Amino acid sequence: MSTILNPLYNIVSGVIVFIHKLLAPIFGANSGVTWSLSIMGLVVLIRIILIPLFVKQIKSQRALTALQPHMKEIQKKYKDDRQKQSEEMMKLYKEHKTNPLASCFPVLAQAPIFFALFTVLNGIAHNKPHGFLKGEYLVSAAQAKFFGAPISETFLGSDKITVKIVTVLLIAFMSGTTFTTQRQLMVKGMPKMDSSNNMMLQQQKIMLYLFPLIFAISGVNFPVGVLIYWSTTNLWTWGQQFYVIKRNPTPGSPAYEELQKKRAHKAKTEGKGVEGIDQDVATEPEVLGQRQQPKKKKKKK
Amino acid sequence: MRKIAIALMRAYQIATSNLAPRCKYYPSCSNYAITAVGRYGAKGLAMAAWRIVRCNPWSTGGVDYVDENLDSADIKNLLSVDEKEAVGTN
Repeated sequence: MSTILNPLYNIVSGVIVFIHKLLAPIFGANSGVTWSLSIMGLVVLIRIILIPLFVKQIKSQRALTALQPHMKEIQKKYKDDRQKQSEEMMKLYKEHKTNPLASCFPVLAQAPIFFALFTVLNGIAHNKPHGFLKGEYLVSAAQAKFFGAPISETFLGSDKITVKIVTVLLIAFMSGTTFTTQRQLMVKGMPKMDSSNNMMLQQQKIMLYLFPLIFAISGVNFPVGVLIYWSTTNLWTWGQQFYVIKRNPTPGSPAYEELQKKRAHKAKTEGKGVEGIDQDVATEPEVLGQRQQPKKKKKKK
Repeated sequence: MRKIAIALMRAYQIATSNLAPRCKYYPSCSNYAITAVGRYGAKGLAMAAWRIVRCNPWSTGGVDYVDENLDSADIKNLLSVDEKEAVGTN
């Protein structure tokens, strides 16, 4: 087991120590800010690596518009047979070499890293070196604080009131970001569906209670550093989705209509025809979690 | 043992059922795993693991049953028609 995990420990601790080295001159080597940002930097790096997968996903979702008539046909033909309907849909996707559904890979790929980070941070708490996080770094990281809470301590393993408060706040933040991300997708990001709206509302309600519960149950055992990682990843997911929904929404979704209206309005005021909405799909680099950039438009002279 | 594994997977399904997009395959990885483990035990677990590996961003997914000749919609429809006829003759 350790032969599989050792490289992971090396990567995770290596990235953290590397970012720490970069930031140490700015914030100070022993500063909690430096260590917290190092963990966040790890998240950013992983998520940047995963961006191509995300883009691929978006593109194959867009490719679906072309299949819309076929899909309607299948739905009509097998409306009494859910299984056959799903089968035929899958065959259709395969035929056109596209698949709108995400595989669980991006999530699964993060799991070992998550586990490695958990071990590395636990190592800090128990003075056990892992990978590159050893010697002076281990000593420095052991005292690093995130808003007053040592990054290696857990809710259950600490008597300090600050640790309890910070972990609870982080867990609340994780629940909040997950919920808003999901809600945003359901309300704005998905093509309108008839009759299933009630079910969606129901599911949202379940989620509203379920996620804080899941996060709370698991979160109390996790070191503050892991919670920082988790929160950052959630925030990134939200930002990524926010960007896509605003700038490049799924055709047929409420956000898509909004954008079209906005563009039509803009075009009218500037005396220019409506631009195809998909024009800037592939060319735009996915700069994520960034502020909404104002759209630059060429003016007709 | 099988029951515990299946119960765990059911719990996973309930927990994630409202997380938007699911699996590239039909049936989904978790449904596949439940069928496979229920039918083949440990070997089914290995089959499920292999399925999850296959379910990656570079695959196109598709229809993939544990046993094509037991689970596909056509087979099931055929069976249910037979049953209906059997009921009808009685």
